[in-house]
Order: sequence, then structure tokens, then C-alpha cells
Amino acid sequence: MAAVLPAQPPGWRLPHIALAAALVAFLLWCADGVNLRPAEVAGALPVIGEYFARMWPPKWEFSEVLWKPAAETLYIALWGNVIALFIGLPLGLCAARNVVRSAALRNAAMAVLNLLRSISELIWAVFFVAAVGLGPFPGALALGVNFGGILGRLYAEALENIDPGPVEALAATGASRLQIIAYAMLPQALPQFVTYNLYWFEVGVRSATVLGMVGAGGIGFELVTTIRLFEWRETGVVLLLILAMVTVIDLASTYIRGRIYGS
Amino acid sequence: MVLELKNVSKTYPGGVQALRDVSFGVPQGQFLVILGPSGAGKSTLMRCVNRLVEPTAGSILFQGKDTGQGSLRAIRRQFGMVFQQFNLVKRLSVLTNVMTGRLGYRSVWRSLAYSFPEEDKRIAVECLARVNMEHKAFQRADTLSGGEQQRVAIARALAQHPKVILADEPVASLDPKIARQVLTYLRQVAKELGITVLCNLHQVDYAREFAERVVGMSKGAVVFDGTAAELTEDILHRIYYREEKAA
Repeated sequence: MAAVLPAQPPGWRLPHIALAAALVAFLLWCADGVNLRPAEVAGALPVIGEYFARMWPPKWEFSEVLWKPAAETLYIALWGNVIALFIGLPLGLCAARNVVRSAALRNAAMAVLNLLRSISELIWAVFFVAAVGLGPFPGALALGVNFGGILGRLYAEALENIDPGPVEALAATGASRLQIIAYAMLPQALPQFVTYNLYWFEVGVRSATVLGMVGAGGIGFELVTTIRLFEWRETGVVLLLILAMVTVIDLASTYIRGRIYGS
Repeated sequence: MVLELKNVSKTYPGGVQALRDVSFGVPQGQFLVILGPSGAGKSTLMRCVNRLVEPTAGSILFQGKDTGQGSLRAIRRQFGMVFQQFNLVKRLSVLTNVMTGRLGYRSVWRSLAYSFPEEDKRIAVECLARVNMEHKAFQRADTLSGGEQQRVAIARALAQHPKVILADEPVASLDPKIARQVLTYLRQVAKELGITVLCNLHQVDYAREFAERVVGMSKGAVVFDGTAAELTEDILHRIYYREEKAA
């Protein structure tokens, strides 16, 4: 007996083609908005190449001045993450559907998280430099506040995706809401939390390299200064150091995250 | 009667009628099997008993008192629950999982520090010993096999010092050999401790083998109430293949 398949769903239809055409038209319209001039980019390539050529050979002696700001960059990323944890965890708990039943509280927490997240860490850094003065501290605060908004939302999603079975089991023992959160929800979401924090530490190191531009500490200050003084060979050293730092942190964090999920 | 259900009905939002006018009593220490196909309302019935689900009508009396009155915590800790999927917290140790059975008795603040009194540890170890799992107390729950996890889940329920254990399809995810082992443990500890057991099953064989009494359910209603020996083909047909009656 020949097998009979059900009717195949239709492939490309007129509405799909129209939608694709509209999308392309929209992209072209936006291209005008961003002043896309590919010809000029091609012409500018040698100029960009020339800048990089001036960085060669890197002035290695300069690296002696850089250890302190480089370490400072790591401190900013680290403490930015700690602050983000303290901001993100309570807000993330309040924003998770299976933790908080009140829609009003959830929406309020979500609104705060959105606000923290939608303002970039560089803008926060400008505010905090004005508030607490120059240095790494406003940098860590800026990262903490912005990443707190991002991590809070990720924490909430991790909590919403846990297995509801153990939650029901603990409710059945007569455990209270807070006890259920502590014993059934957090242990399940914890590996996610750790990997998110590690990943955002990586991102934090990259971000912290530019915070110095607005006076919020770290290696970014040296970067901007050397560029302003046209000390290209020094700029080269700074860029190489940032590259090395980010690569090492990325590798380490990828390794640790692999171990957490591998076990 | 340790437990009495009086005209219990449950209609979920959306109109699904899971329970229709269910009434029966359970004497202290009985091993009662609630038998029926999937979707008969067995799980809903259990969750109404410990108020994980609020019935729409009727009342449930535990030791003569309405479970709808008074503290939810105080009611729930009288009922240990065992699930088809075991529902252990996989990343916590076996011992901690069993100690979570004590949470209903303990203050929130101390338990938030992940600290349990010595007494709870003693109770947990004793309950693990009853299901012969004490040798794995410090292993993580996700390192255990299915049958072992279910024994730990039984220990967690015992740690509550419950009067009644509600077992919702406790062996549906286990192979027949392990399933009999788990049911044997459940029956044995219940007998030793005088705990009443309500056990949802869909397999007739296990019901015949383990039940002191069988309540047959179909489409949310009780269609049989008797001993396992009284389960004739005719009655099984009524439980599993009952035609929808015109309302």
C-alpha cells in the first residue's frame, strides 16, 4: 500500500515575496539615512592602514606604565559584576513569573530593569563621574548598574525555565514561599546564574577598556591620551595589551563555563 | 476515618471538569489504590486533598476537620507526596532533599541560611534507612537511578512525619521490577508507621498486587469502590472504557 502524505504546507506565496521586497526596500531607504558611501570606504582603506602602520613597531617600554591601569580594568569588571549581582538578583527574583504572583510587582521590577539596561554603561559612567568624581569607582558603578539590568532580566528568565516539579514537591511539604525559592528554585537556576556572570565579566572587561575615555578609570584613559598625543607606537602597545587581556579572560571563562555544563 | 471526601468537584478555568461529585472515606492505615486511565482526575483528586488545587465544590475532612480552614502549612505537612517524576532537587544532596521534608515545621529565617537542626538530620537519616538509601546520603540526587530517586522521594515524604502519603503514579516511569520494589517499600513503611496511603495507578496488575482497597475512577467520577479481588473484567471495562453518557 502506498503511503499517503498529508497535503504539504505551501511554500513561497505572493505575501511572502511582497514582505521580502518590502524589507529590502526598507533597508535601502535606511541606507540613505546612514549616508552609506561604499566608494569612500574603499578610498579610506589606505588611510586606516597608515594609522596601523604608524603603530609599528610597538614601543614595548610603555607597557611598564600600563600594568596598573590594566589591572584596574580587571578590578572594575570584577566589582562591576559584583554590584550587578546585588542589583540584578533581587530585581530578577521579583520579575520572574513563577516567583512573584503579583503582576504589579513583576511589572515594576521589569520596568526598573529596562531602565537600567537601556542606558548604556558609558552614559552611566558620565553620570557617576559627575556624582562621585574621576577614577575606577564610578566605572565599577556604571558597569554594575547597566549589567545589573541585563543580568536581572537573564536571572528572571533562568528562574522561569526551571523544572516546576520540585517546586510543587516542596509546596506539598508545607514549605513557605521563601523556603521554596531557596531550596527548589535557586539551586536549579544557579549554574545558569554562574555562567551568565562569567560571560558578563568577559563583556565587562571589554567595556571597562573604554570607560576610561569618560574618566571612569581603567586602561581606556591611556588609550585616549596616546591617541590625542599622536603617540601611535604607544597606542599600539595599549591595543595589543587589551587584545591579550580580553583573549585570556575569554578563554578562561569559556573553559570554566564548559566545566560547569560538562559535569 | 482519617480522611473524608464529601461531594468534591473541580472545574478548571476553561471548563474542564476534572472531578464530579467524588465522595469516599479512608480509614487510618489503609493502602488505597485509586485506579483509572490517564485523565480520569486522579492527580487532581490528590492535589485537592493537600490543597495544591482548590476544589470548586464539596469539602475534604482530615481527622474530622475541614482542610479548607486554618493554616495551609499545618495541613500540608500532614500529607507526604510522591510524584511520577520523583521531583527531587537534582543539584542538592540526597540528605538535603530529605531534610526539605522538614521545612514545613521550621522557621523561614533559619532555613534560608541552609541550616537544619540536628533533630532534622537525625530524622532524615532515619527515613533514608527505612528505604535502604542511607549509604548514598551525601551523593547528589541526580547521580541516582530512577528507582533510587523514588525511594529518596519516599524518605522525603516520611520526613514530614505525615499521617497520609499521597503517591501520584509513583511507578509510571519505572520498569516493572523496580516498580514492584518501590511499591513494596511504600507498603512496608506505611504498615510499620501506620501511615495511610492513597496511591494513584493506571496499571491493573499493581493494583491487584498491592491494594487493600481500590477506588476506580473514570472521567472524574468514582465508578467502583471495593477490594482488589472484586475487580472483574466487567468492572475494569467500566473504569477504562466507559462511554460518555448523554448529560
